[in-house]
Amino acid sequence: MSFAEAAEWFAFVILAVISVAGALGMATTMSMFRSGIFLMASFIGVAGLFVLLSADLLGLLQVMMYIGGMLVMILFMVLFSHDPGGSMMADMDMSLIERFFSLGLSSSPDKEGMDMERHGHDGMDMGGQGGHDPMDMGGQGGMDMSMTTPVKRWAAALSVTLGGGLVALLLLRPAWPTTDTTPNPESARMIGELLMSKYMMAFEGAGLLILIGIFGAVLVARPGAYPDRDARDAYVTRDLPPAPIDEDPPPSADAHVPPEALEEVTVSGAHRDEAGGPPPQNETGQAASESLDRDS
Amino acid sequence: MIVDHYALVGLLALIGTGLSLLVAGLYRPDLPVVEVPAAWASYRFGFPVYALIFLSFDMEMIFMYPWAVVFADLGLEAFLDMLVFIAILSAGITYAWKMGGLRWE
Amino acid sequence: MELTLRALGVLAALGLAALLTHFFEPAALSDAQERGPATPAGARGPVELAPNPDRWMHPAGPVTALLGVLFALIVIPYGPDLVPRDLGIGVFYFIVVVDFVVLGLSLGGWGANTRNSVDVYYRATAQLVAYVVPLGLAYIGAIMMARSLSTVSIVDAQAGMWFVVLQPIGFALYLVTGLMQAYRPPFVEPFAAFIEHGVYGASFAWQALLWRLALSSLLFLVAAMGAVLYLGGWRGPLLPGPVWMLLKTFGLMAIMVWGGSRVPLLSTGRMLELSWKVLTPIGLANVLVVGALILLGVGPS
Repeated sequence: MSFAEAAEWFAFVILAVISVAGALGMATTMSMFRSGIFLMASFIGVAGLFVLLSADLLGLLQVMMYIGGMLVMILFMVLFSHDPGGSMMADMDMSLIERFFSLGLSSSPDKEGMDMERHGHDGMDMGGQGGHDPMDMGGQGGMDMSMTTPVKRWAAALSVTLGGGLVALLLLRPAWPTTDTTPNPESARMIGELLMSKYMMAFEGAGLLILIGIFGAVLVARPGAYPDRDARDAYVTRDLPPAPIDEDPPPSADAHVPPEALEEVTVSGAHRDEAGGPPPQNETGQAASESLDRDS
Repeated sequence: MIVDHYALVGLLALIGTGLSLLVAGLYRPDLPVVEVPAAWASYRFGFPVYALIFLSFDMEMIFMYPWAVVFADLGLEAFLDMLVFIAILSAGITYAWKMGGLRWE
Repeated sequence: MELTLRALGVLAALGLAALLTHFFEPAALSDAQERGPATPAGARGPVELAPNPDRWMHPAGPVTALLGVLFALIVIPYGPDLVPRDLGIGVFYFIVVVDFVVLGLSLGGWGANTRNSVDVYYRATAQLVAYVVPLGLAYIGAIMMARSLSTVSIVDAQAGMWFVVLQPIGFALYLVTGLMQAYRPPFVEPFAAFIEHGVYGASFAWQALLWRLALSSLLFLVAAMGAVLYLGGWRGPLLPGPVWMLLKTFGLMAIMVWGGSRVPLLSTGRMLELSWKVLTPIGLANVLVVGALILLGVGPS
């Protein structure tokens, strides 16, 4: 085997190992951030395999998607989940594979309760958590959370069987068509010409799909009917300074919240909650009305 | 051949990783170090709409690169096709802007 | 073997680029209040360490960034036949591998697990969201006129007239988004002093060295690609190709850094707003204008 062929085999083996190990790591590691990174690594391995097949533009498109797009997606995941860093899980009993892919994670040293407000997760909320450590769940270690489901073994067996079946279908296929033509080195030009001629409808259709995606993004973030501060201020009344203590009515007489305070809370940067969730309590109303002035 | 071109990339990946390990092993001056608590803080996610719009436009950029290569050879028709595409996407940005989505929270 | 020679050439280019930028950049930044990645080692505070860093991700950060910069150096042409490898899709490849630097910032920032370093991760990703689309649109103008994604072809297409003359809007767009890509002022918030100078505040010594190497080379790469796309690359009347290339690269670097340090610093929110409300519409309009110019026959035939 010539040097070039040997090098190609070597590259293929390495890229295939990266692809498979990345997928395995994604499924078994204890840290969610690492899970995303392993998925990224797996698809970069696949992109390398594309390049080995002379589809270099496609391979690099794959890399671009998975670095640009997936980094952003991992950021979303990190901010909206607890324990993205896996430190809560780092002390748990883990199988050998899980232990391997979770090497290097260490548990957080302080496990006291941390008071943190948790907003409800309606659509996209502006609270979130960063960092590796989870919100405390009663002060225990990781043993309370069940990371394993009873069907885990069944799921693993099923996936291995299905995967083996698919690979067998591939290998036992009667005839693999082979061509002798060398691939065209001008891949960008070829793809461009195809896009403009044969796949024009797909091209424009993709544009429409992207537009719908943008609509969805704006809807989910729900900037609301008051897109800017002036419109918002025109609608809600500003909170007056709180009355001095001796002029407050006795608490038993008047247990309901004055409407301005409610509107302040809804508007103070969390106005996307207005479609869901109950009106917040009075004590947070005061704090939120102060924070309205700091709202930028 | 295309694949031969990328052999340099593979070789550089190996060399780069090797060099980094070398530096990691050899360059070890003493630096002042401070222990800080781990990052448990709650961060506000200020840019969800921007991030999702970025994902959509990333898809658009995928289409624009091959188009740009063949555009000059295909003339007016390709220009009009891209005009429609850009108009669709500009409608998207305008919608997001007017709905107040393009804001840092 | 020839491949090894090319690899050594790339390594030499990396060393040279980083060294020259390292000495050149502070001169251009002389009266800026925030130096960003060019912050000298003496001005940084002590290194912050968390008790439980992620021991795989934290070292992987600077290594990934260095790999990204090494890969990107492959496609920069320094002369008529002096390019380590002319990939058919050179410019697209370049934009993709420079994203590896952002990936490295994310890995290193997250892995260090201090509050400031995770902040770096968020801000660097926000900057990625801001710069990728307008930067791509700035590239597309030059690609359209050159009819190719290869850097060598783009330089050859400017034999008649540099693209900066034909596409001034695109050039201005590239200046701004290139600064965003390189994390230099005014887009320097992931490396600001109040978060302990970014990843420098959370890296061991060898990591800080690799970061410095990668970030200096990143500025060089952004300027070099600007020279290739808009300033005609190595083309020029009297001097040999590599000399012109260096002159143009450092000239562009001087313009970008000096101009950027005069502008007040932008916070991440303002930068995202600038990018999506101003730069992207300008970029899209630029694509249409360049398309119209090409249809009218302007530019290389």
